[in-house]
Amino acid sequence: MKPRTLLALFVIPMGLIIAAVPQNTTKPYKLTAEELLSEVNTRTQYVTPDAVADMIVKKDPSLRLIDVRSQDEYEKYSLPGAINIPVTDLLSDQYTDILDQDVKMNIFYSNGTLTANEAWMITRQLGYNNNFVLEGGLNYWFDAIMNPQKPASTSSDEEFAKYDFRKSAGQALGGGGVVQSAQDQNTASAKPVVKSAPKKKKAAGGC
Amino acid sequence: MGPLAINELISENTNLFLAFIIGIGFGFILEQSGFSSSRKLAGVFYGYDTVVLKVFFTAAITAMLGLLFFSLFGWIDMDLVYVNPTYLTSAIVGGMIMGAGFIIGGYCPGTSFCGASIGKIDALVFIGGLFIGVFIFGIGYDLWDGMYMAKFLGSPKVSETLGLTDGVFAFLLIIVALGMFWVAEWAEKKFPRAEY
Repeated sequence: MKPRTLLALFVIPMGLIIAAVPQNTTKPYKLTAEELLSEVNTRTQYVTPDAVADMIVKKDPSLRLIDVRSQDEYEKYSLPGAINIPVTDLLSDQYTDILDQDVKMNIFYSNGTLTANEAWMITRQLGYNNNFVLEGGLNYWFDAIMNPQKPASTSSDEEFAKYDFRKSAGQALGGGGVVQSAQDQNTASAKPVVKSAPKKKKAAGGC
Repeated sequence: MGPLAINELISENTNLFLAFIIGIGFGFILEQSGFSSSRKLAGVFYGYDTVVLKVFFTAAITAMLGLLFFSLFGWIDMDLVYVNPTYLTSAIVGGMIMGAGFIIGGYCPGTSFCGASIGKIDALVFIGGLFIGVFIFGIGYDLWDGMYMAKFLGSPKVSETLGLTDGVFAFLLIIVALGMFWVAEWAEKKFPRAEY
């Protein structure tokens, strides 16, 4: 048999197969189970309510709050400036640009942390950076920011500073209460740094 | 080694080292296939020897099928594969210059170094011409800058432009390639040359 015939007998069926099967558009997962477990263990995904309140009050342009609850719940109450991406629609194409980017700091929140964590895990598994979870969710947000409890009189100055900050932030964001003492308000926890994706280098080829 | 280097799975130096190994392999295969002979290469244009056409097209459809099947099995992410950007005008003009040089000189850039490495004088002369061309291009860059960058189309794939899936286009290309092989072997019988 001629080499050309042999080649034809091999490549034509292969070509037919590849023409008939649907194109594979799935992306391979970018994180191993071990890597994800280590991120979950170190709780890197959490941002404290204090840090978020601080960013909202200062109108930090890098902040983007994402409400992952249903649209009904979002319309009833949402944090200032939050957008709504129900976790059921998370993989919809229209949200890819919002979730997969390296400019803003996306913070997912839900009532507790379960739904927000689900959204974070899925986006993390897709290899997206800069997505975080509001620690404690909206429930803790109300406890901590909107209705802060006055610490016992024996508490440390730090506790009082935290209380004052929460009180004033809560007030600025529509909660009740008046600031009673003016102490140093530097209590907003350090916020995570937005990571820029490494610039993709160009490869080149030729004859 | 594009996807590996871009995603920093291997270092820049390892990448260069791998390029060196692959380059030596490429040159070795070219030489072993007889591509260090300008007469064999020029044969494509006169029809008496079409091995070059057959080897390169076989390599192309093999690589194409390999990539598509790897992508199908999820072994490679096609979004990370580098597609050469297209500048339409310079692609056409450059293709014509390259083709003319190919017929006149009997080498393409890669095979000329292959020929030079086994001591072919015509290959050395060809390389000299190659550097003169590079020099003229560099010196006169301002003159053809506009044309060089004209009609930038991004990195389109033929299958996308035609609105076909990659698989269907691959199948059509295989049919075309086999048809060309058939024409090529017919030409070899039609325009034989006893010695070259």
